[in-house]
Amino acid sequence: MAWRKTRVNIGRKILLIFTISVVVVGGAIAFQYQSYRARQILTLATTTSLYDSGLLDYLIPRFSEASNVEVRILAKGTGESIEIAKRGDVDMVLVHSRLLEEEFIAGGYGVHRVGVMYNDFIIVGPGEDPAQVSGLKDAKLAFSKIEEAGKSRRSVFVSRADRSGTHLKELEIWGSLGFKPSSSVETWYIEIGSGMGAALRMANEKRAYVLTDRGTWASFKDQLSNLKVLVEGDSVLLNPYAAILVNPMKHPHRNFKVAMAFVKFLVSEEGQSLIRDFRKGDERLFWPMARDFQRAAQLGFPDQAKEVSWYDTQTSPSGQIAILVAIILCSRMPYCYTTTSFVAESQV
Amino acid sequence: MMHIIEALHLNKEYGSTKALEDVSLAVDSGDFFAIIGPSGSGKSTLLRLIGLIEPPSSGKIIFMGEDATSRSEEEQLSFRREIGIVFQDAVLFTTTVYENVAYPLKIRKRPRSEIEKRVKESLETVGLAGFENKNASELSGGEAQRVSLAQALVYEPKLLLLDEPTANLDPRNATIIENVVSGLSHEKGTTAIMATHNMQQVQFLASNGAILHDGRVIERGKISELFKSPSAFLSSFALIGNVFPGMSEVGADGLATIDVGASWKIEATTNKRGRVTVFIRPEDIIISKEPIQSSARNLLRGRVVQILQNGQKVRIKVNADREFLVTMTRRSFEEMRLEPGSLVFLAFKASSVNVI
Amino acid sequence: MDPIVDGLVTAFRLLVSVDPEVYGIVLLSLVVSGVAVLVGAMAGIPFGALIALRSFIGKRVLLSLLNTLTGLPPVVVGLLVYLMLSSSGPLGPLQLLYKPQAMVIAQLIMVFPIVASVTASAVSSVDRKLRLRALSLGAGGSQMTFTMLREARTGVLTAIVLSFGAAISEVGAVMIVGGNIRWFTRTLTTAIVLETELGQFGMALALGIILLALSFLINVALTRLQWSGLRR
Repeated sequence: MAWRKTRVNIGRKILLIFTISVVVVGGAIAFQYQSYRARQILTLATTTSLYDSGLLDYLIPRFSEASNVEVRILAKGTGESIEIAKRGDVDMVLVHSRLLEEEFIAGGYGVHRVGVMYNDFIIVGPGEDPAQVSGLKDAKLAFSKIEEAGKSRRSVFVSRADRSGTHLKELEIWGSLGFKPSSSVETWYIEIGSGMGAALRMANEKRAYVLTDRGTWASFKDQLSNLKVLVEGDSVLLNPYAAILVNPMKHPHRNFKVAMAFVKFLVSEEGQSLIRDFRKGDERLFWPMARDFQRAAQLGFPDQAKEVSWYDTQTSPSGQIAILVAIILCSRMPYCYTTTSFVAESQV
Repeated sequence: MMHIIEALHLNKEYGSTKALEDVSLAVDSGDFFAIIGPSGSGKSTLLRLIGLIEPPSSGKIIFMGEDATSRSEEEQLSFRREIGIVFQDAVLFTTTVYENVAYPLKIRKRPRSEIEKRVKESLETVGLAGFENKNASELSGGEAQRVSLAQALVYEPKLLLLDEPTANLDPRNATIIENVVSGLSHEKGTTAIMATHNMQQVQFLASNGAILHDGRVIERGKISELFKSPSAFLSSFALIGNVFPGMSEVGADGLATIDVGASWKIEATTNKRGRVTVFIRPEDIIISKEPIQSSARNLLRGRVVQILQNGQKVRIKVNADREFLVTMTRRSFEEMRLEPGSLVFLAFKASSVNVI
Repeated sequence: MDPIVDGLVTAFRLLVSVDPEVYGIVLLSLVVSGVAVLVGAMAGIPFGALIALRSFIGKRVLLSLLNTLTGLPPVVVGLLVYLMLSSSGPLGPLQLLYKPQAMVIAQLIMVFPIVASVTASAVSSVDRKLRLRALSLGAGGSQMTFTMLREARTGVLTAIVLSFGAAISEVGAVMIVGGNIRWFTRTLTTAIVLETELGQFGMALALGIILLALSFLINVALTRLQWSGLRR
């Protein structure tokens, strides 16, 4: 009969809708299940330059396995990372801007700031170097020459202008010259509001000068035929990375314990040697500094020794259970009790 | 329950326009009732009100002894489901003929086997057996109208309303529909109310009727009575059209020549002979400032006597041996720029001549 | 031309070798946009139909509002959703941020006005006479809505196709509320952004090609539904 065909068509339609629903609902369930697995979750915010370098992908597996923690990394600029940490959307930050970090701590949003490692910034520019800064060891001088060259229209400078660590360092150096650059006034100063990769590519196109971290330069230099490294080695170009925990008083729902465990790992001997051994291609990108207290003080971490020892004395969650058991067992013996309770108190 | 439907003092306004004014009528169960009138007289509005798909501004509609006007939505729905309507333009759903005809049964949640059987029967009744799988868009105007009729019949309504159902159809399809509709009334006892301007249809199908003009009922009664004493009827009609009594003679070619006096003969497509009354709708007369070259058999010359403007329609009285009433759209009127006294030419087809 | 060829080759290689990360990303993109469109349609279609069929005070204003919302930039939606779901925000306790759920919510907000306003438009353009016809044949309130939707089905399906396309190619909102977390909230679009930042243009293009292919397949499937629906 003529209307049997319509029955088949309906059947096919139903099958199609059914398949789609299964895929969609199945996927939804799978993702919900993922988050229900009995694992601790650490959410941390860091800078794009650190994330792009690949260091975290190298370090985290070792930490995850040992502690059964799932680490979720948000790669935002330093500015955004600090903002979302203030709002309590992450457990900790790993950033590189002293100014913003200190403001963060002063506002009561972060605790136990500690220096983990450092790398350095370099000034790259056009091979023909119209500002004549090549080989200089003084970043401040180099910048003033670039400003001069810019004003006399011999060259231009590209700025990330995105409140990233790199951008803030750049502004710091301009500031030390008493100069506040602005693209609306200076035509040689180009503000793009973008990542390091994009800044380097633009600098390459325009044959401009740009401040970059060594790691990103190492990743991109093969594509940047017009640029080369011109200035490096000035101590002001050193770029330390700090780890800061989100204050549990401000945001009690965050996973303070796990964040603490991760930073403890970073500043431990094991963590620091892993950082030292990390290579990209065959270039070394980071220098450990957690346990070099002198260096740390130089780079703006006066409390490094105190904080590192605080991390060292923290125990992992499983360790805390062990202490609790020990306290209970020891409660009968006065000498034993005093020692264990002293250790327990230092956790706070 | 003698009257299946009674309309009491119905009024309908659209903004400032009064479409119906104090309309009252009653239709008996099993009857075939005609509503006669020119376009714009309110026939369609009246049918929509009776069909309970639009509420009146005031007045009552009694359906099967119950007041259907001031009721809740659900109660009105159950009344509506006993009424079938066929509109002038057949609008069908974009799907197959089967789905279209099955629709009213589906919304009444009838079982599938019953639907299949009834749809088949319905399509056979309108002569479209085998059309089930055709898409509605593939149908001709006449076929679509027949599907529309099948739709209205498939759920066996107690009352069938028809709004000029054959107005835009070719003779063949029109005849099929007329036959189906007449069969209903006689065989199944379905009450039918049909709005039309076609006099032959009225005579052939209806037993009672009413004449509507400018939203008012100006005459009502048995059709046979209305047509027997045409004078009363005619005076009402004269308001709405061109009416002339005469003597008809049918020629060999099937065309009748009607002598209406003053040596003027009108040609009409009818096989009536003897005393007749001729009625021509004002809309069917073509008016022009130049002599008209057309296939129309009736051509006249006259002068404009009076111009009556009524919104979008303009009515012109023309004296061409007899007084004719011609209507045209305002636009055409403005383009033609007629004035009282203008010389004009009139033409109308033999098929436009209604012979009573 | 090099990165483009590299992109095509990489795309093929990734798909054939069943790279788990890429498949995970593809699945996430499909599920997030799929759920958003599904829920958006279930809410938006009846909403749009009812607006079109009923007359009420403020109808025109509501329609204008809906139409304006369709032009809302997705990234703005993302920012607003972030502020709502943030720990410091009103819905903070729900802890939905930086999870696929937040991405679905952001895309849902984007999809709903599109589906609702296109449906309303499609249903209003159904011939008025058909409405009277359905009424005269005895259709009740909800039956009428359903019948009008059926008549407007090409328009409604277009709404769904359009909104799916918009959702799956969206990048700003999912970036802000999802965080582009590897293995967890990374979709095709956010992965493309990351790879571009890293200068891995071949990989970025490969992902873009996969995204295009996916969009195309889904469009074809939905269009076939459209046409077969018409014939019936």
